[in-house]
Amino acid sequence: MAHVKIPIGPQHPALKEPENFTIVLDGERIVDVDIRIGYTHRGIEKLMETRTYTQNLYLVERICGICSYAHVCNFTQNVEEILGISIPKRAEYIRTLFYELERLHSHYLWLGVAGHEIGFDTLFMYTWQDREVVQDLLEMISGNRVNYAMNAIGGVRRDVSDEQKKKVLEGMDYLEKRTQYYKEVALNEQTILARAEGVGILKPEVAKRLAAVGPTARASGINVDIRRDDPYASYQETPFEVITTDTCDVLGRVVVRVLEIFESIKIIRYLMEHLPAGEITMKVPRKIPEGEAINHVEAPRGEDIHYLRSNGTEKPERYKIRTPTLANLPSIAEMLKNSYLADVPIVVAAIDPCMGCMDRVLLLKEGKDHPELIEWERLRAYAMKWYAEKGWK
Amino acid sequence: MSSKEDHIRDILQEKTKGINLQITVKRDRRIFINLLREDLKKVAEILAEDLGTQHISTITARDTGNNFEILYHFFIDHVMVTLRTTCPRNEPTVDSLVSIFPGAILYEREIHDILGIVPTKHPDLRRLVLPEDWSGGYPLRKDWKPEGGDTNGAR
Repeated sequence: MAHVKIPIGPQHPALKEPENFTIVLDGERIVDVDIRIGYTHRGIEKLMETRTYTQNLYLVERICGICSYAHVCNFTQNVEEILGISIPKRAEYIRTLFYELERLHSHYLWLGVAGHEIGFDTLFMYTWQDREVVQDLLEMISGNRVNYAMNAIGGVRRDVSDEQKKKVLEGMDYLEKRTQYYKEVALNEQTILARAEGVGILKPEVAKRLAAVGPTARASGINVDIRRDDPYASYQETPFEVITTDTCDVLGRVVVRVLEIFESIKIIRYLMEHLPAGEITMKVPRKIPEGEAINHVEAPRGEDIHYLRSNGTEKPERYKIRTPTLANLPSIAEMLKNSYLADVPIVVAAIDPCMGCMDRVLLLKEGKDHPELIEWERLRAYAMKWYAEKGWK
Repeated sequence: MSSKEDHIRDILQEKTKGINLQITVKRDRRIFINLLREDLKKVAEILAEDLGTQHISTITARDTGNNFEILYHFFIDHVMVTLRTTCPRNEPTVDSLVSIFPGAILYEREIHDILGIVPTKHPDLRRLVLPEDWSGGYPLRKDWKPEGGDTNGAR
C-alpha cells in the first residue's frame, strides 16, 4: 500500500508556537515525520543587538509566555558574569523562588493540556484551577501573573515580606495535598494508563544521540538537570532530588513532571524558611565591558541556553538563545515513528512544546488534487474514537 | 586532585598533539577551545571518542566583519566546553558535524539560514526559521538592515 502524507499545522491565530508536522503513514502506522518550524520567528536575536541591556531585559522576558523567567534570568546571569559581580544572597533566593514558582505553574499547565489531549478534561479543569494558586502567589509578589518583570541587572526589583512568605508556605501546603492526588491519578487511573503506557517510546541511547533535554530526557532515564549539574541562583545550597524514570514513554513524562512538582514545593519551602536578610539589588554600570558569557538554566521544559558577546557599549554585540523545545524536536520525530496516527496529539504534547501549536490539520492523500482540510480538534476526536473502538473506554 | 576542567583539558591536550589549538579554562565549568576550521572535525571526533560525548548543546555563530565566528557548545561531565573556529566571509564553509553528533542537525540548519554559513556534507540544508520563499539575505549579518521604514531606533 502506498504511503499517505499528512501535514499537521502550522497554525491557528489564537494559539501560540505554530509548527508543521508532515506525517507519512503506512496504514495507520507512522513511518516518517518531518517537522517545520519558524512560523513565529520574530528576529529577537537581531533586535537585541539594537537595544540597550535594560531594554533587552524586557524583550527577553517576552520570548516565551510560560517560561519567561528562565529567559530573563539567563540574560541577567550572562550580563552579571561579564560585569564580574555576584548579586546579593537574598536576591539569589528570590530568583530561585521565581524559577520554581514558574516550574510549578508550567507543570500544572502541562498536566492539564496532556489530560485534555487524551480526553480527560476533568484533570484539565482540576490542574488549571490549582495553577491559579501559583499565579496568585506570583501576582502577589511581582504584581504580574506572567512576565513578572522581577529581575534587574544586579538583583531583583521586589522584595518578599514576612506576610507574603506565610502566604507562599500556605499555598505550598495546599498544592502538596493536591499533587498527592494527581500522583495517584497518574499512576493508577486507567484513562491515563491506556493512552500513555508504552506510547511515544524514546530509548535512552536515542535521546542522548539526538541531544534531548529536560523532563523528556529524564523520562528516558538520562540523569541530567542543570540545577544540580551547573548550579545557578541558589541551587547549590538548596536540597532537592533529580527525578528520572526509565519507562521512556508518555507515562514516564507524566510521572517525571508530577514528581518534580513535589521537588519544587520542597525547594520553595526551603527558600522561604532560609531566606537571608539583606539587600535585593546593587548598582551596575550602563555600559557592559567587552567579553563573552554562556549560561544555561533548567527551564520547565529543559535546558535553556543563552550566549552573550558584549563589545563595551550599552548594547550587546551578539545574543544567542537555544530554547528547550528546539532541542527536543528531533526526538519527537523518533517518538512518533512506529506510533499510530491516533497517538500524535499526546506524543507531541508530551514534550511540552508550548502546546497548542497545531490547530489545522490537512489530510492529504497522495495522487489527489483536493486535500481535505480538517482541524486539530478533529484529529483529537479521531484519536479518542480510535481508542474507543479498540475497546478502550 | 585535579578538577574536572583540568581533567578534560589534559585529555584534550594529550589527544590533540600536532593539532594547533588553544585551550582556555575560563572559569569553573567553562572551557573555550580555539581551533582552525580544518581541525574542527578531528577535534569533534576526539570529544566523541575520548571523552564519550554524545550531546551537542547548540551552535552559535556571529559576524565579526571579514570572518564568521562559529561556536560549538557541548556539556561534558558537567562542564560547558565550547569549540571556537572561524571561516572567512568570502568562503563561508565549515565541516558538518552531523555525522558525529546527529543532534547538530537543526543547529547547523539555523546558522546556514540566518548567517549563510554552509556546513559541508550536511544531509538536509533546508531553511529552519526563515520562510521558504525568503530572499532577503542573511539577517544576522551585521551589514543586513531591515527593509524600509521605521525600525524603531534600530541602527
